[in-house]
Amino acid sequence: MRNSALQPPRSRIRYVSPRFQGPAVLAFAAIIATGGAIFWKLVDSEFQRVFLHTAIRGHYAFDSAYDIVRDLLARHLAGLFVGVFLTGSVLVLLLVAATRHGIGKAVDSLRASADGDLSTPTGTGPIGEFDRFGKKIDAARSDTLASVLKIRSEAAALAAGGISPEEFRLRWDELKQRIRRIAP
Amino acid sequence: MSGPEAAGNGPLIHRRYVFGLLLRLCVTFAGGVGILFVILYFALSRPLPGDYAGVFHALRNLSPFLRPILAVSVLVYALLACGSTSALCVYILHKVAGPLYRMELVLDQYRSGAPTRTVSFRSGDQIQPLAQAFNLWIGTLRRDRQRWLATMKDAERHCLQDEATCRAEMEEALRKVAEDMARYH
Repeated sequence: MRNSALQPPRSRIRYVSPRFQGPAVLAFAAIIATGGAIFWKLVDSEFQRVFLHTAIRGHYAFDSAYDIVRDLLARHLAGLFVGVFLTGSVLVLLLVAATRHGIGKAVDSLRASADGDLSTPTGTGPIGEFDRFGKKIDAARSDTLASVLKIRSEAAALAAGGISPEEFRLRWDELKQRIRRIAP
Repeated sequence: MSGPEAAGNGPLIHRRYVFGLLLRLCVTFAGGVGILFVILYFALSRPLPGDYAGVFHALRNLSPFLRPILAVSVLVYALLACGSTSALCVYILHKVAGPLYRMELVLDQYRSGAPTRTVSFRSGDQIQPLAQAFNLWIGTLRRDRQRWLATMKDAERHCLQDEATCRAEMEEALRKVAEDMARYH
């Protein structure tokens, strides 16, 4: 029988990260709303002009109002689609560039940490979520550096001698415990 | 180069993922515009009255009549497009937001002193090099830790001999460890 107490806890999958996805959703909504408002303003004024002009001109060779504004409507709908899609694409590319820059800096920082550099700031940039993430990485690196420096100074102090054998043994064991706590 | 380092040099965000996102956005916006067209088509395609005067009056009065229809259809378009784009953002951007969230948990766990396991993201997740860089760092720290402990353990073996040799070897081991730690700055 499987013991559920021995099973490692399954990490909960969180699909929504308001700090990261929220601004992107708001930006897309702003683009769509702006596109819609421009479309409404343009088409409304064009409809008013075109229908009035057609009514005065006479020669009604059409069955419905749609026949009058077919081309105009198609042009404006195409304009709405192209405008919103192009602006949305630029936003996607900006998001990708910001992610590449922010996470790229975090990756560089972790690689530098593997080479021993635990003090150079990550510098993920001013974008909220990445800045916060960079600070978390820096905090982890800073903790590690503080721990290593403490162990190093203790090791140097012990190596310098002049300590009684009992105290030396005690501090030696303590030092081993501290080393064991690095990257548990 | 082969192995984990080469794998770590992979792209943070795959081109395929970006194209997939753009394609889905294209379909979403096209769908929204399509719905807007359908609403306006049904509003505008009603046949006009047969006689000349009827058509004239219908055309004169069409603009004020169409204004609320236009406003409502644009509102429906905006709501549908915003809703589907939001769902798309949550679904697609989760491939970046999810790993970031996971890494934050791992970093918090690491800082709290709890045992840290190797980080691996789900297949299809982006920013994979982040997990590989973190694993590389933790791996290096663990190797160094083992080396320092091995140096100290090696010195302890000399304690089977006389006290002076033991102490000298221990002090030598400590000097080695301190020297080795100097690479961390």
